Amino acid sequence: MKQRAIAVAYAGLAAALLQGAQPVDFNRDIRPIMSDTCFRCHGPDKSSRMMGMRLDLREEATKPTHSGVTPIVPGDPDKSAIIQRIFEKNPARAMPPQMAHKTLTEAQKETIRRWVAEGAKYEGHWAYEPVKRPAVPEVSNDSIVNPIDNFIQERLAKEGLQPSAEADRRTLIRRVTFDLTGLPPTAAEVEAFQKDASADAYEKLVDRLLSSQAYAEEQARHWLDAVRYADTAGFHGDNRYPVWPYRDYVLRAFLNNKPFDEFTREQLAGDLMPNATVDQKVASAYNRLNRVSAEGGLQPKEYLAKYGADRVRTLSAVWLGSTLGCAECHDHKFDPFKSKDFYSMKAFFADVKETGLVSDRGADAWGSKLSLPSVEQKQRLSELDAQIEASKKALDAKVTATSAADRAAWEKGILARHEAGELAWSYQRPTSAKSLNGTRLTIYNDEPADSNFYLSTSNGSTLMSEHKPGQGLVIASGADPDKETYIVTFRPGEGAWTALGIEVVQDESLPGNRLARGADRFLLTEVDATVGKGAKLAFSLATASDSFGQMPENAPMTVIDGDSSTGWGISFGEARNPFIALRLAQPLKTNSGTVVTVRLHHDSEYRRATIGRFRLALSKAQYSWPENGESGVKFKARKGDDGVLTTAAERGLPAKVDEALKLPEDKRSDEQKKLIARHYAWSNPEFADLNIQLAKLETARGILQSQIPQVLVTEATEPRVTRILPRANWMDDTNEIVQPAVPGFLGKLDTGRRIANRLDLGNWLVDPANPLTPRAFVNRQWRQFFGIGLSKTIEDLGSQGEWPTHLELLDWLAAEFVLPTWRADGTHAWDVKHLLRTIVMSHTYRQTSIGNPQLDERDPDDRLLARQRPFRVDAEVVHDTALSISGLLVDRFGGPSVRPYEPEGYLAAMNFPKREYSASHGEDLYRRGLYTEWQRTFLHPSLLNFDAPTREECAVSRVASNTPLQALDLLNDPIFVEAARVFAQRILQQGGRDINRQIGWAFEQAVDRQPTQREEQILAELHRESLAKFRSATADARAFTSEGESPVAKDVKPADLAAMTTVARAILNMHETITRN
Amino acid sequence: MNPEETALGANRRTFLRNGLGTLGMFALNSLLRGGQDNAQDKWKGVVNPLHFPQKAKRVIFLYQAGGPSHLETFDYKPKLAALHGQGMPESFTTGQQIAQLQGKQLICFGPQYGFKKFGKSGQEICELFPHIGGVADDVCIIRSMWTEQINHDPAHTIMNTGMILPGRPSMGSWILYGLGAETENLPGFVVLVSSGKGGQMQPIAARQWSAGFLPSKFQGVKFNAVGDPVLYIDTPKGLGHDLQKASIDAINALNREQYAALKDPEILTRVSQYEMAFRMQASVPDLVDMSKEPASVLEMYGAKPGDGSFASNCLLARRLAERGVRFIQLYHRDWDHHSGIKENIPIKAQETDRATAALITDLKQRGMLDDTIVIWGGEFGRTPMSQGDGRDHHIKGFSFMVAGGGFKGGMTYGATDELGYAAVENPISVHDFHATMMYLLGIDHKRLTVKYQGQDARLTFTSGEVVQPILV
Repeated sequence: MKQRAIAVAYAGLAAALLQGAQPVDFNRDIRPIMSDTCFRCHGPDKSSRMMGMRLDLREEATKPTHSGVTPIVPGDPDKSAIIQRIFEKNPARAMPPQMAHKTLTEAQKETIRRWVAEGAKYEGHWAYEPVKRPAVPEVSNDSIVNPIDNFIQERLAKEGLQPSAEADRRTLIRRVTFDLTGLPPTAAEVEAFQKDASADAYEKLVDRLLSSQAYAEEQARHWLDAVRYADTAGFHGDNRYPVWPYRDYVLRAFLNNKPFDEFTREQLAGDLMPNATVDQKVASAYNRLNRVSAEGGLQPKEYLAKYGADRVRTLSAVWLGSTLGCAECHDHKFDPFKSKDFYSMKAFFADVKETGLVSDRGADAWGSKLSLPSVEQKQRLSELDAQIEASKKALDAKVTATSAADRAAWEKGILARHEAGELAWSYQRPTSAKSLNGTRLTIYNDEPADSNFYLSTSNGSTLMSEHKPGQGLVIASGADPDKETYIVTFRPGEGAWTALGIEVVQDESLPGNRLARGADRFLLTEVDATVGKGAKLAFSLATASDSFGQMPENAPMTVIDGDSSTGWGISFGEARNPFIALRLAQPLKTNSGTVVTVRLHHDSEYRRATIGRFRLALSKAQYSWPENGESGVKFKARKGDDGVLTTAAERGLPAKVDEALKLPEDKRSDEQKKLIARHYAWSNPEFADLNIQLAKLETARGILQSQIPQVLVTEATEPRVTRILPRANWMDDTNEIVQPAVPGFLGKLDTGRRIANRLDLGNWLVDPANPLTPRAFVNRQWRQFFGIGLSKTIEDLGSQGEWPTHLELLDWLAAEFVLPTWRADGTHAWDVKHLLRTIVMSHTYRQTSIGNPQLDERDPDDRLLARQRPFRVDAEVVHDTALSISGLLVDRFGGPSVRPYEPEGYLAAMNFPKREYSASHGEDLYRRGLYTEWQRTFLHPSLLNFDAPTREECAVSRVASNTPLQALDLLNDPIFVEAARVFAQRILQQGGRDINRQIGWAFEQAVDRQPTQREEQILAELHRESLAKFRSATADARAFTSEGESPVAKDVKPADLAAMTTVARAILNMHETITRN
Repeated sequence: MNPEETALGANRRTFLRNGLGTLGMFALNSLLRGGQDNAQDKWKGVVNPLHFPQKAKRVIFLYQAGGPSHLETFDYKPKLAALHGQGMPESFTTGQQIAQLQGKQLICFGPQYGFKKFGKSGQEICELFPHIGGVADDVCIIRSMWTEQINHDPAHTIMNTGMILPGRPSMGSWILYGLGAETENLPGFVVLVSSGKGGQMQPIAARQWSAGFLPSKFQGVKFNAVGDPVLYIDTPKGLGHDLQKASIDAINALNREQYAALKDPEILTRVSQYEMAFRMQASVPDLVDMSKEPASVLEMYGAKPGDGSFASNCLLARRLAERGVRFIQLYHRDWDHHSGIKENIPIKAQETDRATAALITDLKQRGMLDDTIVIWGGEFGRTPMSQGDGRDHHIKGFSFMVAGGGFKGGMTYGATDELGYAAVENPISVHDFHATMMYLLGIDHKRLTVKYQGQDARLTFTSGEVVQPILV
C-alpha cells in the first residue's frame, strides 16, 4: 500500500504533508476522498443515489436512512455505518463497491475515522465560499518582496524548507520575457539588463514588458484558447468565418489593460449595452465563437441545443472554473449544480439571433455580421454609391426616353434573331493549346471526352457521366502549378465578331467546386487576345452569367482591367458552367486564314485557382448573352429518357427574358418588364458607354467591399423557449420551461419582474460577491508563471478538483485582483496587469529552478514553490522563438489571420468545398503564431504537434508533451529550415570572422549565453563536416538553403551558408532554446 | 487511483503543467531507469498488468466513412423488397429522428441487390461482396449496431471517441495509452485515408484520430498519399542522410551537456525523442516501399503500389501490423449515398470487397489473424426508406463486420426488424462495441480512465457492456 499512500500524498499534498499535525479539515482532507469515492452514488444527483443515502450534506448524512442505518454518528465512528462499511473485510459488502473500481487506502480510511471521531464537521466547498482577503502571514526573510512570498515562505518554514535564491539575471530575463511576451529576449536586452546595476532594474524590465504589444499578444493567446476562438466553423465543411476583429479586440483589451469586469460584460453583452460602441459590438462576437454546422439534413433544433450547451460549458470553464456542462444530462454528481441550473444558464443565450443550420456561403453567410470600414473606406464607399446611383439613373432615363415603337421593334427583332440562331455563340475549335508553366492542355474537338457532372433534380443532385465529342473542349491535366497561363489559338474563319466567350465546364474530378484544379474557386485574373501577330484586341465590357452569391470582388470586369491581382472567379456552389462574355471595343473582322490567340491568365494569390475545363466561343450578334450552363440546362427526365443538355453557347438570350418576351405585354409581371428593360439596355450599342461605366463602378465597389473587414456579432432577438431536456434529449418537449437564472446555490439575480438577460449575467460574473470568477482567473494566470495552478485542476475548482496548495494565497490574489490594495497607486479594480505584475515581481517567481536533491526528495513536483520549474514553451512560442532568433519575425500587431506554409495535401480529407491550402506571401509568412489561421478540423500540423488545442471546445490549459513528431517538425518543417538559413545569414554577417566566434555569437542570440567549450566543439565539428560535404556538392548546398520565400543572401558562398545553416539549425533545435527555465 | 498516478506519485521531479499531470509520466521513463536515456525508452502503457487475458494485440479498423447501407451489404431484408414503393409503416418511424427526409413522404425502398449464402456457415452477404463471402467462415457479421448521432460530423466523433463533444481521445489513442506499442520506429497509432468514386465525399476531421486531452504522443499519425508519407518525415532537400544524422547527434550531444548542468529529466526525454525521430525517418520509407511485395500479394489485394487506394492501404495496414503498430485505422470515403445507390454501391463494393478479404486471408496465412482484430463499418447506416433513388442517414440499426482477434468466425449476430429499421435483437451500442474491442485487447473499459473535468473519463463514457456471445 505504500505506493497508494504516495499517490494520495500527490493528490492531496497539503493533507499528506501536514497529517497528524492538526485536526482533520473537511474540505482539505475529507471532501477530495469522498467526492472521488462516495458522491457518485451518495451525492447531489438524486437519480443515481443508492439506498437513499446522501453524504455530501451533514444534515442528510447524520440522520437515519429509510432502511434505518445512520451513515455518520458524529463523534462515534464505531456506530457510523460508513466507517463500518469502509473497514469491512468482506469484499462483497465493503465500500466503495468493487464495480466502482475505486479503493480507499488505509491512510484514507483512518483519516475518515478521525474526522468522524472529531465530530464530522462539514464545511461549504472552499471555492463556493465568499472570497475574503486573508491576513498576510508575518514572515521575516530578506528575500520577501511582496505578500505572495509571505504566504509561500510561511508554508515552507512549516515544512522546514528554505526558499531558493533568485535566479541569475540571464535566466530571469529569459523567463519573464517568455512568460509575459511569449518571445525570448534579444541579446541586446539581456546585455542591458545584466549591466543595469540600479535597484529597480528588474522592476523596470517588468514594466517595459507589460507595456509592450508582445505582452498583449501573449496574454490574448491564452484567452483565445479559453474562449475557443478559431477562424473556421468547426463542423463538417469547416469553412472560414469572419471573426478576427474579435481577436484584435482582445489584443487591444490586454494592451490597454481593460478592467476585467468591463472585458467580461462587453463580451457577453456588448450588444445590449446602452449606446453600444463598435468595440462593444465586436466584443459580442464572443457569443458566436461556438462551432456551427452547415451540414445538409441536420435538424436545426438539435443544433440549436448543441450551440447553447457549448456556450454554457465555455462560460462555466472560463469564468467559474466549474464543470456545469456535466449537468446537461442530470444533476451534477459532485457539485451542487442542478440540471435546471444548466438550462437556466443556457436560457441567457436564447436571445442570440441564429439558426440551427448555418449557411456558410453567400452574402448572408453565418448570420449577424458587422462591417468595419475605415474612415477612408466609408468615404470611398459613399462616393461610389452616389456614382452608381447616378449612373443607374442615367441608364433608366435613357431607357425611358426611347420610344415605344423603337422598343417594340427591338423586342420583335431580338426574338426573331434568337429563334433564327443568330444570337448563339459559336464554339471555336482550337488548333493549339499550350501553357506557360507546364500544365498539359488537351483539345477535344470531334474527339469524344468523358465528362462527369452533377445535375440538379428534384431529389438534389445526381452524378451523370457522358462520353461525347468535346466541341472544342480543352481539358487541363498533368502538372498543376500554382499560377498558370493558357494560350489557345483557333481559326474562326470568315466573319465579323463582336465578343469573345469563355465557358468554364464543370467536372466532378476537379477539386474546386468541380471547376478549378485546386483552390475552392477558379480565378481568371486577365484575358487577352491577339490576331495574327498584331496588337492585343481591346475589350470594353465583361459580363458573366448570373450566379448567386458570387463574391463581389470577383466581378467579370476584373479580367479586362489590366490588374493581375483582381480576377473573375466562381467558387463552391455558385454556378455550374459559368460563362463570361468579353465585348470587343471594335468588331473583329477575320478571313479564312486568320489565327486568333487567346491567353487566359491565372495569377492570383490562390494556389491552383486554374480552370480545369473550358471552351472558347465567338459571337457575331449585338449582343449574345452569356447564359451559363446550369440555367441553360434542358433536362427532360430521369432514367430511360434522353436527358438533353443544352450548352451555354447555344443560347444568346437569358432564358427568363426569352420567356418574358414571348408573353403579350399586358401579361408581363413588373419583374419581367424590368428584366426586358435591363436586357434592352445591355444589348443596345447606344447604351454601351453607360453600361461600361456602371460595370466599372460596381466592380470597384465590390473590390472595396471585400476589403472591409467583417465580424460575426451577437444580435438580440425574441428569446427562444428554453426547456430542461432530460438526458439532453432535444426531441423531448415535455419538461419544464426555464427562464435565465444563475445556479441556485450561488445566488439569485435581482432584476425585479424583468427577465434577466446577458448583461445581468455579465454583471453577476464580475460582481465582487461572486467567489468563482476571480479564483478561476487567478488560478489560471498562476499556471502561466509556474507551470501548474495553485489548484492544478484549472478547469474544475469544484468538489472533484484539487484542493489548492495555497488557498489563502489564491484568495489573497483573488481579492487583490478584484480590488487592489497592495501598492494600489495607478491600479484599478479587476486589474490584470497589476495581478501579473504582482506575480512576476515576487521572489517566489524569481527563484532559481536548478536541481536540488533535498527538494527532489521532499517536493518533487515543486508544489510548495521552494523553487521555480522549467517547462517547454507553447506551440506558438516555439514558432515565434525560431523566427525571432533568426530575425524573420515580423512585428505587426493585429489584422487578418495569416497562413504559414503547410504540407501539401494536408486538407485533402476536407470537403464542401474540396480545397487546397494557399499559403500567405511576404510578411504574412513570418507573423507570430497567434495570427495563424485556426482551422479547427485540421489545425496547422506544427501547432498540433506542440499541443495547441484545436479550439473546437474551450481549452483552459494545455498539456505539454515531448514527442518524436516535435523533433521531426523542428528539424524538417520548411519554416524552421528557412529560419535556420536566415539565422545563418545573420551569423555570417554579424557573428565575427572565425567559426568559434560565430558559434559564440549565435549561442548568445538564441539562448543568451556563451557556449561551454564542449558545446562549441560539438558545433564546430558539425560545421566542419557540413562544410566538407557542401563544398563538394554545391547543388545540394543551394537546395538546402533555398527553402522558403525570404531572399537568400547573395554575398555568401552556398557551401558556407549551407554549413552555417546546419549549425543554426542545431541551435534552434536545442531543448534549451524552446525551454523557459 | 490509477496505476499511472501511482507510478507518478513515486516519481522524481516531474513536469506536470495541469490537471492532467498524471500524464506527465511518459516523459520520465528514462529517469526511472536510472537516468540514462536508452533504447528501451518506449511507452509501455498504463494497463500493466492487463485487466484480462489478451486475445488481440492490435486492431485494423477499415472505417467506411459516409455511412454504408446495411441493406446492400450485410443485412438482408426480403420483406422490405416486398414493400418496395409502398409507404413505410408509421409504426416504425413515428417520433424517430431523420435527417434529409424531414417533412418528406416515407416510402419503402427495397434492397437494390440480392444476397447469397456464403461459406460453410451459410452467412447471408450481398452478392456485390463475393470476396468477403469467400472468407465468410472467418468473419462475424453484426446486424444490430446503433448510434446516437445522425449527421456525419458528430457521428464520426462518437464512433471514434465515444462522445459527441470534441476534446476526447479517440479509440486508437486510448488503446495506445493503455497498451503502448510494439514498435519504437513507427507511431503506435496510424491513420490512412483513401477515397474512390461513387458517392458524396463527406469530409472527415482530424478530431477522429485526436489524442484529445491525452498528450499528442498518443494521437493518430496520418500517413499521406501525396508528399511526405508522414508530415515532416523527409530530411530537408540537399542535406542528405549523413548530415541529418550528424545534426541529430550534435543536437543530442548539446542537450546532454545541458542535462549535465541542470539535471532536468525532460532534457533526456527530448534526446530520446530525437533518436526515435531519426529511426522513424529510416523506417518509414522501408514501410511504404511495396516493391518487395510479391506480385501474387499485390494481385490478391488488387493493389498498385503508390496509388493511394483502399487496396494499397489494406496492404500497408498489414505491413504496419507486422511491424508492431497497435492501432491502424483506414478511412475509405464517399459512402454517402443520398442518391443513385443502385449505380454507386457496386463501385464501393468493388473498391473494398477484394482488398478486405485479401487482408483477412493474408493475416490468416501469416498466423496473425488470431491476434489481430479487423473491423469493417462506418459511422451509421442508411434508411430503409427511399430518398429519390438513394437512402438517407440512419442510426437505429446498421451492420458491422468483424474478424480475428477473438471474434467468432462464421457467425451472424443481432438483427434489425423485418424492414431493417431498428436493431431489435441484441442491439449493440457504440459503447458496447468499444467495450468489446477493449476486452479482447485485455482492457477493462471501465478501468482505463483519466481524470478529466472531475470525471473518470473513459472511451465508453458511462455505459458499454462486453458482447460475450460473439467472442471465441
